[in-house]
Amino acid sequence: MSGARPATIRPSLRLCLWCAAAVVVEVALYLSYRGHDARFHWFTHFYVGSSTAVVVMAAVTARTGRPVRYPLVWPLLGHLFAMAPDLAFAGGVAHKRWMDVFLGHIASHFVPGRNLTWYAVFLVALALYLVAVDRSRQP
Amino acid sequence: MIPETTATTRRSLIAAWVAAAIVLGALMAVARASESGLDDADPAQQRPGFLHAGAPAPRLTAALPVAGRRTVVFFVRPKGLDEVCRALSGPQLAERADVAVVVSGPGRCDGVTTVNDPAARLGRSYGLRRPRAGGPPVGYAVIDRRGLIRYRTLDPTVADNLGEVDTIVRAVP
Repeated sequence: MSGARPATIRPSLRLCLWCAAAVVVEVALYLSYRGHDARFHWFTHFYVGSSTAVVVMAAVTARTGRPVRYPLVWPLLGHLFAMAPDLAFAGGVAHKRWMDVFLGHIASHFVPGRNLTWYAVFLVALALYLVAVDRSRQP
Repeated sequence: MIPETTATTRRSLIAAWVAAAIVLGALMAVARASESGLDDADPAQQRPGFLHAGAPAPRLTAALPVAGRRTVVFFVRPKGLDEVCRALSGPQLAERADVAVVVSGPGRCDGVTTVNDPAARLGRSYGLRRPRAGGPPVGYAVIDRRGLIRYRTLDPTVADNLGEVDTIVRAVP
């Protein structure tokens, strides 16, 4: 009687802990961009890093036929990679052009449409991933 | 015919996409609404964090800028002058560069070279961008040892961001 329920609850709890951890880290990163004007930079790197991660997630899902595990952690890792030069800046290292290797850390700010463009790119990437998940669940 | 579980999953996926679109869109709208009239109309141009190739810096006074020394020029309005002066009273920045304050009106900053520029001509000649609401710029420019402006940005909260100014000054040759 007591054996079946914990076995079904534990995986979902573990999943939610990962979800919560990813969301908490993102909120902390958002708050770490001190000053209202710096939030613009958080959005840019979040969209660029997350979009890249979500496209990779879509490709992995399409290839394996299964949704990826820990789906909120991938975008977080993409975001951390894209914003790495900002972590260095907080440590006293100014930006340099070569830092564009971090998913266009500098150049990505200057695309036409600015963050609205990246917002649209992210939503398209997310739709791609969700379509891949939907297809993977077809009988 | 689509099985019920498949239809439910699809609805959940669509709901997740719509929720992401709404939450992120709302966050962007809130962030945009919190910008002030002193901010740059193009946020990408504000506090970019990297140096430019450089253009010759106009003279501030007969003595500044000095060849062979870095100079930081703060552009402030009279209302924010006290706050910037208090922030500049610490020794750290002055050890790395000459410091000057350009005020778009009356006022002085004790211990710091102060230039009164009511017509905001210096802000324009230093290439600082126009704030969203117009008027004199609030921000700073950093001049390298060869007398070139290597960094300039609007920064209405510069008094709170002197650590960032220090990072830029250290990067300037």
